[in-house]
Amino acid sequence: MQSIASQNAPGPSVIIPHFLVGGLVLLVFTVLLFLSAESLTQHFFNPKILALTHLLVLGWITMIIFGALYQLIPVIMETKLFSELLAKISFILLTVGTLLLTLSFWNFWLGTYLIFSGCIITLSVLLFSINVLFTTRSSKIKSIEKKFIFTSTIWLGFTVLMGLILAINLSFPFLSTPHIELLKLHAHAGIVGWIIQLIIGVGSKILPMFLVAHGMNKKKLVFSYYTINSGLFVGIFSIYFSWHFILILASGVVVLGLLAFLSYLYEAYRIRVKKKLDPGMKQSFVSFFILLFPILLVLLFSFDPDLISSLSIPLSIVYGSTLMIGFITSLIMGQTYKTLPFIIWLKVYRGHVGKIKIPLPKELYNENIAIAQRWVFNSGFIIVTGGILLVQKDVIKTGCLFLILATLFYNFNLFKIIFHKPKTYAATNA
Amino acid sequence: MLQRTLNTKEQEIFESLKAVIDPELMVNIVDLGLVYDVRLDFENKKINISMTLTSPGCPLGEVIMEDVKQVTKSINADFEVEVNLIWEPAWTLDSISEKGKNILGRN
Repeated sequence: MQSIASQNAPGPSVIIPHFLVGGLVLLVFTVLLFLSAESLTQHFFNPKILALTHLLVLGWITMIIFGALYQLIPVIMETKLFSELLAKISFILLTVGTLLLTLSFWNFWLGTYLIFSGCIITLSVLLFSINVLFTTRSSKIKSIEKKFIFTSTIWLGFTVLMGLILAINLSFPFLSTPHIELLKLHAHAGIVGWIIQLIIGVGSKILPMFLVAHGMNKKKLVFSYYTINSGLFVGIFSIYFSWHFILILASGVVVLGLLAFLSYLYEAYRIRVKKKLDPGMKQSFVSFFILLFPILLVLLFSFDPDLISSLSIPLSIVYGSTLMIGFITSLIMGQTYKTLPFIIWLKVYRGHVGKIKIPLPKELYNENIAIAQRWVFNSGFIIVTGGILLVQKDVIKTGCLFLILATLFYNFNLFKIIFHKPKTYAATNA
Repeated sequence: MLQRTLNTKEQEIFESLKAVIDPELMVNIVDLGLVYDVRLDFENKKINISMTLTSPGCPLGEVIMEDVKQVTKSINADFEVEVNLIWEPAWTLDSISEKGKNILGRN
């Protein structure tokens, strides 16, 4: 008999802390965004935006991705995680490093604080990378999803090292390339090379699985893999050496790769067995639709780079917020409802099947709250985006209030799932 | 989807597996066509069930299989029950019964 996915899964104590900290960080982020709404009307290179961006990307996005990956890598690679201990140490370092880095940027404490926190994060990522690379090595399967995950980990390492170099350069300048250009390089390696590529690798496996879509055309994924990585690689050099024309071509190639993935997802959506989508999948598909907007903006910026430094400062902020809040945050919130209930459900009810009356995984959270969360979040995101474009601080603040409410709803369900107790069901034991 | 014709007792066990629901799709595993074979060995008091999953990565595979075992055991207490997971033939949409397709909104 072949092994099945859940038999390779690591203990819940590896995964759950990532979700707990991630959810709380998201709440703190939305509150800080509300308090510093004015920074969103300024150029992106300011202490508050740097602090908020790193808090969001490391404390929320990367935190949840690390946790979810420890559960999903065994599913995708059909092997056990290399080391649970490394995962736990990496989690502690990421939490501490993110808090210190956010404080350093917020107060603009350059030098020792910034570099020290950067070193802690680099160490956390190093441990994570060792874990993923050794797990990948022990896996016998060959798939494009595995390539995406492996390569995204390499981009993560590059991004973090680049970030550390930037932290040193900001405190003790030694690089001739303007710091802003290096920041763009660091940001795109992180967002496209690490986060989006990882989303493609994991999403191309689990989204068709959740939709029960069979017979998918994987050639689109192969095309997506080579275009995104070659485009990004050339694009990074183009930014560093200011090769404008080549940057346009490289951006176009990356966009083609992203469109190929979206087309793959649309195919899964079209041929899916499960016609009715649950709240988690609905929010996930809305977030993929939102991804089309930054794709349009990247093309706009590529053709006219002066836009970004003249009239389009709000557009550059919208570009970043659409990617990180509209697309990635929304997707993670949606997918939390698809992964976390299963993890907890297995933890609580494994071994009790057929012996006590057990709930369904989706009964571990409040569906109405999840639906409300989606609507409030989408409204908040639209209002914040409008406020940034109109350079209206009060509109941004109003949108932030919606985002805070949505995050409270999210945390309510997150805690409800994580601290689920089986006693009410055991009482009805048949 | 069944790979051979069952005898009356085997068919009874097969029908009882309608109590096992796939928690993601909310359709029982019989109508999903996940059960391939039920073999009853009176002599050795053994029941052998062969089944598949909609995907090898299905996170609930272990639970569904345990549920199959428990349901079968509950009506055949004297028998030893073994559940085998197989991937050939691969599960496809055509394996779903008309009733299953109706529940999934595909008809």
